[in-house]
Amino acid sequence: MTDETQTVANPAPDPPPDRAREARAIAIGVAGWVVPGLGHALQKMWGRAIMFFAAVGVLVIVGAGMRGNLFRSEGGDAFAALGYFADLGTGSFYWLAKYIEVGGSDVSHAYGDYGTRFLAAAGVLNLLTALHAYEAARGRKA
Amino acid sequence: MKFHLSHLQAMLLFALMISIAFGFLSRRRPLERVKYIVWSLLLFLLFGIGIGWAMYPFSR
Repeated sequence: MTDETQTVANPAPDPPPDRAREARAIAIGVAGWVVPGLGHALQKMWGRAIMFFAAVGVLVIVGAGMRGNLFRSEGGDAFAALGYFADLGTGSFYWLAKYIEVGGSDVSHAYGDYGTRFLAAAGVLNLLTALHAYEAARGRKA
Repeated sequence: MKFHLSHLQAMLLFALMISIAFGFLSRRRPLERVKYIVWSLLLFLLFGIGIGWAMYPFSR
């Protein structure tokens, strides 16, 4: 009885992870975050790499061009912190947006507000693609 | 570089980019991707315009 309970409560442990593969998968995930699409390019998923680079790039360029709010680390409140986290999701494109948005953000117009959403969506989308690249590198069906 | 997109243009561009990314994320075969992208884009637009009209009575 006790043995049965232990078997149900403590199923057989998973086989030890392949550390080299796991480390490679993490590196690929980080690469995919830093440069959108790079995680997939390193795995020779060229179509996905190009499309993710283009989709995130277009969202960032248009979002910054519409003078959306690019959140900074010293935001102050929870909303600003979440926005900063979302914007950071674009990886290196965060600095591209900063470079484009030389005049700063302007959310007094509707298109500035749309730009803020574009930038945040680009970041979250890039985090999703980086996670996808990581899972693919681990061998999950992708 | 400045873009002054209207609400509809911004919605179309946003829906297109997100639909393409979702299609490439979730489908492997080209035809399935195209179907997914078209469906996703149509639903984005349908819900966007639908929610816009639903808010219309409260805009005055």
